[in-house]
Amino acid sequence: MTPVLEIRRASKSFGSHRVLHEVSFGVDAGEVHALVGENGAGKSTLMNIISGIHRRDAGEILLNGESIDPTDPWQARQLGISVVFQELSLTPNMTVAQNIFVRREPTSALGLVHWRQLNDDARALFERIGIDISPTELVGNYSVGIQQIIEIAKAISFDAKVLIMDEPTSALSESEVDRLFSIIAELKQQGVAIVFISHKLGEVLRIADRVSVLRDGEMVGVVNPSHSNQDEIIHMMVGRSLGDLYPAKGVVSDEILLEVEGLSHPPLFRDISFSLRRGEILGIAGLVGAGRTEVARAIFGADRYSRGSVKLAGIKLDLKSPRQAIEKGIVYLTEDRKVMGLFLSMTMRDNIVSSALARFTDALGLLKHRAIVNESLRAIKQNDIRPRDDLLSMTSLSGGNQQKSLLAKCLSANPKVLIADEPTRGVDVGAKVKIHQALRDLANRGIGVIVISSELPEVLGLSDRVVVFREGHVSAVLDGDNIAQADVMRYAVQ
Amino acid sequence: MRRSISLFDSFQRLRSSLALARLLQNRSVILALLILVISIALSVLTPAFLSSRNLTFVITGMTYDLLLALGMTIVLLLWGIDLSVGSVLGLTAVVTTMLLQDGASIPLAIGVGMGVSALCGATNGFFVAYLNIAPFIVTLGMMSVARGIATVLTSGYFVSGLPDAYKAIGQGRLFNVPYMVYFALVVVVILAFLLRNWRPLREAFYIGTNPEAARLAGIRVALITLGGYVFCSMMAGTAAIFMTSRLSMGFFQFGLGAELKAIAAAVIGGASLRGGTGSIFGATLAVFLLALINNGFVLLQGSPNAQNVIMGGILVIAIMIDAYRRRELAED
Repeated sequence: MTPVLEIRRASKSFGSHRVLHEVSFGVDAGEVHALVGENGAGKSTLMNIISGIHRRDAGEILLNGESIDPTDPWQARQLGISVVFQELSLTPNMTVAQNIFVRREPTSALGLVHWRQLNDDARALFERIGIDISPTELVGNYSVGIQQIIEIAKAISFDAKVLIMDEPTSALSESEVDRLFSIIAELKQQGVAIVFISHKLGEVLRIADRVSVLRDGEMVGVVNPSHSNQDEIIHMMVGRSLGDLYPAKGVVSDEILLEVEGLSHPPLFRDISFSLRRGEILGIAGLVGAGRTEVARAIFGADRYSRGSVKLAGIKLDLKSPRQAIEKGIVYLTEDRKVMGLFLSMTMRDNIVSSALARFTDALGLLKHRAIVNESLRAIKQNDIRPRDDLLSMTSLSGGNQQKSLLAKCLSANPKVLIADEPTRGVDVGAKVKIHQALRDLANRGIGVIVISSELPEVLGLSDRVVVFREGHVSAVLDGDNIAQADVMRYAVQ
Repeated sequence: MRRSISLFDSFQRLRSSLALARLLQNRSVILALLILVISIALSVLTPAFLSSRNLTFVITGMTYDLLLALGMTIVLLLWGIDLSVGSVLGLTAVVTTMLLQDGASIPLAIGVGMGVSALCGATNGFFVAYLNIAPFIVTLGMMSVARGIATVLTSGYFVSGLPDAYKAIGQGRLFNVPYMVYFALVVVVILAFLLRNWRPLREAFYIGTNPEAARLAGIRVALITLGGYVFCSMMAGTAAIFMTSRLSMGFFQFGLGAELKAIAAAVIGGASLRGGTGSIFGATLAVFLLALINNGFVLLQGSPNAQNVIMGGILVIAIMIDAYRRRELAED
């Protein structure tokens, strides 16, 4: 039997960064084929190539044995390939039926919309997938779970032969997941080929007929779920060595610097407890959306929490703002440097000292310019930011140097505890190594460092201990030098 | 690569070998040159321009606008806008003069008037900074409320019969120049110094550039924003005191349309509607430039009714230049 959709040896690079390398993949009619892999393994890129968002550099896409070349998602849909993206594309202020048939409303000769037929069409669609949703209700009145189902109904309304779903369960409750799975079963019956992209291996094993594993842009294998288990799949996902990329680990003192106890703010996170010792790098691993950033922001005073406590050197803190956290010596390096970290239109100097102005102010509130210039030049040298011209606007620096500037900004505040959220996101390998070394140097100077990262090798290579988050709670605290990636992954997924 | 001006570099900038080229990029220099050209043109075209009576008229007239433009510069710097300054001026004028008319002492009347203006500013600032409501909406509401209260209080009549000692504030002169001109210049110098050296005002640059990043950097975003609106309103209150004492009366329509002139001057002077920039000297020169254009228009027998058209046109052009400048920055 020819697969409905087949990818043959597809490759894609962004600049010098290879994202996909000769990946082949196929899905049959009436089959659910799951695609799994770590963050950055190339799942989204593969999907974007199929739906025409990105152009592949090499390889072929075959639909029912015929070569196709979609240039945008709309065209892919006309061909019968529908993608349900992670971010919903619905308009809350329009009705369910209007959303589903947007740009395709049945019209009379005068161009007026046939409302009754529009709603009847939507109703027929819902009947087909066995679900009861009112076509005339506003989309905004439904929960995110139902909206996800409406999105799927919209996708199959294009008479889809192939339905690709990217993390469709990430926002769903358990009962909504069950409902989604019964819809998928129904579509299977009708011969739709389904590609199911997910992090949640439990769900993948439950629904998939085949599982393909991507790692670092390459297809490492296809397994049959009935002859496999989570462990095998996890090993396929992460199987690689760390190498000597990471700085040597240091000596951690026994003195507890920061203690988090029972921190809760449902539904984002519940009952989070861990401690950070002086001179330690504590890694926080987990999937995107597991609540890591939320907890970090709560500790930093940027967001509220409803229960629990945070103690610094044994003294309970009740931080109401980031300003108070910085005064106490807790600094947070944000995961989103452009939106929340840097002042892009301002100079490197202005950015570097922005968290530390209190240090450069005299009794009258006037700033000591000379000290500021000295601090900025010192920080540029210490963090090896290039070029060494602190009057350059932030926009003219590379990603790596922007990130180093962000780190310098955090360090100017003289922290006792640094919480670094994705400290190497979007930087080149060279800058990455330097940032890793800088974090280890800080720990060696007695600062407590928390590193949140979605890259498992980074968390493991850098950290003295690793806290694993899963769906808003701590699922494990792993100690020692030889933590296996597979162990962390097992605790991070269901 | 774009090199730009740091908040913290008062010394080395002009020492560069590119000093002249830089100088011509400096907005204040351009404004000063424009002022010079227009002044020369007007003195050639009409002898009345250089008469001391006309110059005093121009300079006193621009004092009110200058005070408002300085306040507006601070609010724009914070990525806000204050449409209510004209109305707050009107309300302060009415409250102060009514108290004086009723026999209140001068310090009491001025104190209450300034208190009213500060309260208007604090209300604006509270809604903007603590309740996160768009500044445009908040101050548009205040514009209507303050003007409305001023109207209700006076039923539309002039308030007159002010004590001579009060009139002396606006009418008194030193070396033939009204007191209030000196006052405004002192405010300009102090404010320019503080904007360069005082931490809360330095932090205003960060707030206007990226409020969320500023909050995470430990800057008191809400408090400083509130302070900016209070200052802006109090500048309007100060203008009201000078205006009522100079004209010997209060009137609910004082300051009508003043917000547009203030915004135009602040933006021409270097502030951006997108926050993060602003210059005290720039705004001062821009007010002077606008006053000259207005004066030239009057001296050359233009219709006074067309003045609003000109002011509106200048405002739109200034904002267009601002938008263009931002796009260039974004493409950098």
